[in-house]
Amino acid sequence: MITFEQVSKRYESGAMALREVSFHLEPGEMVFLTGHSGAGKSTLLRLILMLEKATRGQVIVDGRNLSKTQSRQAPRVRRRIGMIFQDHKLLNDKTVFDNVSLPLMIAGERYPDIRKKVRAALDKVGLSGKEKSWPMRLSGGEQQRVGIARAIVGMPPVLLADEPTGNLDPELSRELFGLFRQLNSQGVTVLVASHDLALIRSMRQRVLVLAQGKLADDISGSDIAGPAA
Amino acid sequence: MNRDSFRRRSRAWGRRQSYSFFSSLGTLLSHRLGTLMTVLVLGIAMALPIGLYVTVSNLRTLDLQREQWGTITVFLNSEAAEAQVQELAKLINLDHQASVEAISPGQGMEQFREASGFGQTLDLFEDNPLPWVLLVTPRLSDGEDLGEAVARLDAWLQERAEVDLVQIDFKWLQRLAGLLELGQALVSVLSVMFSLAVVVVVANTIRLDVASRAEEIEVLSLVGAGNGFIRQPFLYSGFWYGLLGAMLALVLFNLGLYYLQQPLERLLDSYGNQFEVVNIGGSGLVLIVFAGGFLGFLGAWVSVQRYLRQLRKSGMLGRL
Repeated sequence: MITFEQVSKRYESGAMALREVSFHLEPGEMVFLTGHSGAGKSTLLRLILMLEKATRGQVIVDGRNLSKTQSRQAPRVRRRIGMIFQDHKLLNDKTVFDNVSLPLMIAGERYPDIRKKVRAALDKVGLSGKEKSWPMRLSGGEQQRVGIARAIVGMPPVLLADEPTGNLDPELSRELFGLFRQLNSQGVTVLVASHDLALIRSMRQRVLVLAQGKLADDISGSDIAGPAA
Repeated sequence: MNRDSFRRRSRAWGRRQSYSFFSSLGTLLSHRLGTLMTVLVLGIAMALPIGLYVTVSNLRTLDLQREQWGTITVFLNSEAAEAQVQELAKLINLDHQASVEAISPGQGMEQFREASGFGQTLDLFEDNPLPWVLLVTPRLSDGEDLGEAVARLDAWLQERAEVDLVQIDFKWLQRLAGLLELGQALVSVLSVMFSLAVVVVVANTIRLDVASRAEEIEVLSLVGAGNGFIRQPFLYSGFWYGLLGAMLALVLFNLGLYYLQQPLERLLDSYGNQFEVVNIGGSGLVLIVFAGGFLGFLGAWVSVQRYLRQLRKSGMLGRL
């Protein structure tokens, strides 16, 4: 589903964010991406989302080689990916419903379908009945789940999350990861960037470790020791 | 692409448009005061050239009836007797191919009484101080210039002993014609300038709009909105600004016209015309309203293209 082949990314400032990173994610896999801050996690996700272009190497998502894709095709690529942000990226002057429905509006779906799908997505993240709330009135955990609802409402085959637990307490973080696992069990490919090692370990899933832009380790789920979640 | 998928895509396109359409309306309504101010500025800017245009085109309809405007008013000596007057009138009619209307001092007094409203005050005169008056209108043969015909008649009349004063409206009319030409040129220049002003005002408003919604644009872009989807609500906003501005301009203009209509008609009737101010017709109204909408759209387009490019350059929407 996602393939990196010898991908390097050098920013205009000259900083090397990624150095010859290669890995492959099968459809339906759930993988965690970890490393210190500045190790290149965000850059890696931004490459998949076509927010940046690789300096060298190939990024292939859902059968499409992004290195060879024109930038005006970026919206099309992004519509096939659900992205969850650490700072939620919600629109505070729009209701929860309007926030979650954005991807469907962009896709030009019929309004009755939009209503049905938004309700289903909110249901899935445990926010039924909050359609008319304003994001600012919700707790951090709830806001994050609104972001997740927006990411999954269009049923994209790939779900990315960048430090989704950054602002959440351990209890909520565990719940959130449980939600990712549940989505993954429905066939979605999930890639979560997080530095919460304890939590990642408890998930017993494959883990990619980045260090100074290099892929330092690629650990399969069965090799992870420690207590299960 | 087969027909089915084409239909599906065009339906999705239509739904996206309607979403942008309503979201732009919602934005305008949620910033009522700002919208009102912008529309007011646009309305005033557009009312000016519209007003001038209607004024000039009304005056031009007058100018079309030129022969009548060539009428010369001839005031005779107070000593001139009726028989002398009739003879002079016949002479003018036969020798100069001009129609003549003679107004006796009595008729003149009657008309003055009606028009001036002095009524009984005029009864205070013991004698009627008014002289005989001839209204001489030259009839033009083919290709003859009204100016020349009037000048010839004038020269001949000045020689006559019975004639006290010859008054020609025609010179004034020539000046008016010149002024009208200037007025028309002014309408064109002002229309271009004020259209430009509309574009600039809308462009500036939309620029602020884009800036204040940079965050929203970023989010839209992150969840897969294309350029068109991001741009569309702003273009609709511009269209609405222009459309509402033009409608307000027409309202302002008609209020002004309502206030000016009576004095204007009185003024023009004093030149002997049953005159009615011709307002802008139905198709003209539609044209103006949509021209306003188009100008607003244009302003929004210029602005959005420019500031979206800036946002993109800043890297906010990704670096590709």
